[in-house]
Amino acid sequence: MDDVIHRTALTVDFASRIKFNPVLEVMEIDLSHVVFANRELVRQFYDEVDRQMAKAGGRWYFLINYDNCTVAPEAWEDFAARGKLANVQYSNGTARFGATDETRKAIRTRAEAERFRSNLYETRDEALAILATMRRRHHFLGRGSRVDPGRAADILLKIDNVSLRFGGVHALQQVSFEIERGEIVAIIGPNGAGKTSMLNVINGFYHAQEGSITFKGEKRPHMRPHIAASQGIGRTFQNVALFKGMSTLDNIMSGRALKMHKGLLWQFLHWGPAQKEELEHREAVERIIDFLEIEHIRKVPVGRLPYGLQKRVELGRALAMEPELLLLDEPMAGMNLEEKEDMSRYILDVNDQFGTTIALIEHDMGVVMDLSNFVVVLDHGVKISEGPPGEVQHDPVVIRAYLGMGH
Amino acid sequence: MLYREVGQFKTSYAADQAIFPIAQDRWFVIALLLVAFLVVPFFVTAYTANAILLPFLIFGLAALGLNILTGYCGQLSLGTGAFMGVGAYSAFKLMTAMPELNLVIVFLASGVITAGVGMLFGLPSLRIKGFYLAVATLAAQFFLVWLFYKWGWLRNYSATGQITVPPRTFFGVLMTGSSAAPAAKYLLALAMVTVLALGAKNLVRGRFGRSWMAMRDMDVAAELMGIRPLPAKLSAFGVSSFYIGVAGAMMFTLWLGAAEGGDTFGIQNSFLVLFMIIIGGLGTVLGSFLGAAFLVLMPIVLKNTMVDTLGMTAVFAKHLEYVIMGLLIIFFLILEPHGLARLWQITKEKLRLWPFPY
Amino acid sequence: MLFLAETVISGLLTGVMYSLVALGFVLIFKASGVFNFAQGVMALFAGLTLAGFLTGTIPITHRINSALAMPPWLAITATVFVMIGLAILIERLVLRHLVNQEPIILFMMTLGLAYVLEGAGDLLWGSDVKVLDLGLPSGANDWLLDSFGLYVEQLEIVAAVVAAALVTALAIFFQKTRIGRALRAVADDHQAALSVGISLNTIWAIVWAAAGIVALVAGIMWGAKSGIQFSLSLIALKALPVLILGGFDSVPGAIVGGLIIGVGEKLAEVYFGPLVGGAVENWFAYMLALAFLLVRPEGLFGEKIIRRV
Repeated sequence: MDDVIHRTALTVDFASRIKFNPVLEVMEIDLSHVVFANRELVRQFYDEVDRQMAKAGGRWYFLINYDNCTVAPEAWEDFAARGKLANVQYSNGTARFGATDETRKAIRTRAEAERFRSNLYETRDEALAILATMRRRHHFLGRGSRVDPGRAADILLKIDNVSLRFGGVHALQQVSFEIERGEIVAIIGPNGAGKTSMLNVINGFYHAQEGSITFKGEKRPHMRPHIAASQGIGRTFQNVALFKGMSTLDNIMSGRALKMHKGLLWQFLHWGPAQKEELEHREAVERIIDFLEIEHIRKVPVGRLPYGLQKRVELGRALAMEPELLLLDEPMAGMNLEEKEDMSRYILDVNDQFGTTIALIEHDMGVVMDLSNFVVVLDHGVKISEGPPGEVQHDPVVIRAYLGMGH
Repeated sequence: MLYREVGQFKTSYAADQAIFPIAQDRWFVIALLLVAFLVVPFFVTAYTANAILLPFLIFGLAALGLNILTGYCGQLSLGTGAFMGVGAYSAFKLMTAMPELNLVIVFLASGVITAGVGMLFGLPSLRIKGFYLAVATLAAQFFLVWLFYKWGWLRNYSATGQITVPPRTFFGVLMTGSSAAPAAKYLLALAMVTVLALGAKNLVRGRFGRSWMAMRDMDVAAELMGIRPLPAKLSAFGVSSFYIGVAGAMMFTLWLGAAEGGDTFGIQNSFLVLFMIIIGGLGTVLGSFLGAAFLVLMPIVLKNTMVDTLGMTAVFAKHLEYVIMGLLIIFFLILEPHGLARLWQITKEKLRLWPFPY
Repeated sequence: MLFLAETVISGLLTGVMYSLVALGFVLIFKASGVFNFAQGVMALFAGLTLAGFLTGTIPITHRINSALAMPPWLAITATVFVMIGLAILIERLVLRHLVNQEPIILFMMTLGLAYVLEGAGDLLWGSDVKVLDLGLPSGANDWLLDSFGLYVEQLEIVAAVVAAALVTALAIFFQKTRIGRALRAVADDHQAALSVGISLNTIWAIVWAAAGIVALVAGIMWGAKSGIQFSLSLIALKALPVLILGGFDSVPGAIVGGLIIGVGEKLAEVYFGPLVGGAVENWFAYMLALAFLLVRPEGLFGEKIIRRV
């Protein structure tokens, strides 16, 4: 591998490798046989992409050809950090990322963590077909869309100057950020940073003393949790908060509570309208059960399930609400690698298939990098940084907060 | 016939959601009901009706009511005795004010009145929880019993302080008083209980049942799922009190014939019914009736053994009965905290796999 | 004015008696999370046992043999040992098998226990009303009667003094001794206490024994006032509104709550009762506590609870 890198030119004419296809609304990038031997080349590449995007304006999907593309280990970090630019990638199976064994292992792990698995296709035609479907679903660009001047932002949730106190303890201090429709936002920060409090404020469980929350364009003052739920905010919890005495099926069915209306007398009779309603919702719930691959535990009381499955059932219960905004509080805490991968896949699929906007709290930075398009960092109740994951990861303020040096 | 579900495939969600999804269960219950309706009436005597069958049915119904509130919705109540009293006094007022009213309508209307009272006393549950709420329901218990004594209008100002059931017929058959046929009383009570138990089963497997259980298991999460605490808890209080009220009305009209404030509807009944659902199993319809059967039969068996067989004095036997009853309750709690219904379920699970242990 | 003062004082002193019973509840609830409904019956049982020892009754036969009659100090000591033995028995035979059960199961267990103790007390000592003669002063306090014209029962003053002494002793026990610290640790967090090597079984036995002794004191006071009879077990019900007012786990709450309930109940009985036909004391305390809770769900001394998810 070493000799490959040595033989490589230090400059590549990226400009000629980027083409616009206005019919498909696709920016096609040909990286075949390119060897990213160092960080400088990576920087050149992304600079060129940025330049071209600024020139073209508007929204574009990215289609990248990775045939025989190689990324050297030292360049990998930078490459991956901004790699999510690409919505769809393809290669004939000869893409090589990195060179050393360790890097390859790392890449394999990351590749398994969904990001490449879901977007990497073998041929250009396959990739194009997927693009067509994605466009039909009105999918937005991935990361970078925030800075895209050509797009009018669709703000789903706006947190404005929110402060929350418990007695003398400041849980949140003048926190502001926005969540756009269709994106996955991660809220990160050290323990006790106020992340869960933030989610609690969003769905009305806590009431902020100062500041305002605007959801779907409506400013809401003191709101009860069930009203937040009825407006389309779903939620899972840090310590699984399932209904322990109920079966998986009943737990997920209870997520449909807001959608079922037949009265007490019909319920008493069961036959007729109540049963019809029950069965309609049962079908919707069965689709979720199917989607989360938990058919086998349908009738098992959730108290008896292992932790990983409980988390999955909880996600199912939240999905049953068909929320517009889904708040996930540490969806992968305490999971092993395999379970994390599964959960990541479900989260991406939810975002992808149902267009659900997701705000999640997560400690595993790998997961945050892979899943989210935007990151908000809290520390001691204060927002210390926000931005795309790659930027945030290298923000010295964030690094300091995590390492606990100086405030 | 072997107890197996092999070969019974569900082809629709409706079949999967049936009350008794396993065919053998279904047949067993149907057979049981047939015997109860068609065979038992021929063997009913005044003693079996008044000492065993009516108490069993009526307490079973009251236990079912309390189980909806405590077992399903997780709200501990110690006011059952007084709520049965509300049902009884309502029945008395309705029967004396409107002599022509059909008995079933009297029962149901008494239930509705009790439901109203129950919901009123359920309001504190929105702010207080657990044992604090249990103690708050004691307020209902004592206040209502006091009202039964003090408010003469409730008993039509009867000089004895008692209420006594007037003679009433149901489609031409005399139902109340000591001269009514025991079999007739039994059949009416059985029919009421069967229909109401079926309805309760329907309720608890539908959206109301789920919202109650959600409140019980994790009220915070339930609220964040959009289940509002007020309707969920109050509906549980209402439905529960309805059942308890109907039970109280039947207790007065069909079983006792006369009643007096705290003597009949005192706190001891609240505890008795609570014992029934704990021993039978919290959060199961079946458990309510198993618990009622156990606690109705046990004192009879104990008394028969100790006084008639062993020749103890009645007083001594009564005290010993207390000790044994208390010990049995403790023993049951240690043996199977989830009650008789759970034992029954475990047996069924074993039976399904029999003769293999796993 | 004098009448009002008498009513308030009488209420305060009755309140002290309620506090005594409530204290037993609080002790057990604090250390084991058990809502001990048998506390009242424990007082009855202790009272019956004491009366039995004093008169020299032979258990089960109910015959009195005056040769076995003990002097008060010996009878009280013997009863203390009986209550300690009972606590150890309860821990060994019952609590130990119900570790980690839900609170409602433990509550039901105490209901069962109440049945057992009630039956056992009657079996052993007979169910007739017993006069408890410990030589405690009775009648009005002359000094108060002479100098202020106030009628105050001497016995109630004694009860107040004893209760105060008991509370002080308990406070010292909780704050200063090693066992007290262990008790508080257990009250805070069972598992954490276990992990630093505190034996839950021992703690439970100690707490139940302490509650048994508190029950004995309550039994003596109530017994001296109105004789020992079944209705004594119902005073437990009187302690419940005190508990919801003061909080299930607060010793000062039990004291202050008892005083408030005692005074409130007496005032209601005297000034409000006649308007509605009397006998309001059965439920008034509950309504008072309930109304209070609706305004302040965390109780008198509880901290505002921050709910977490």
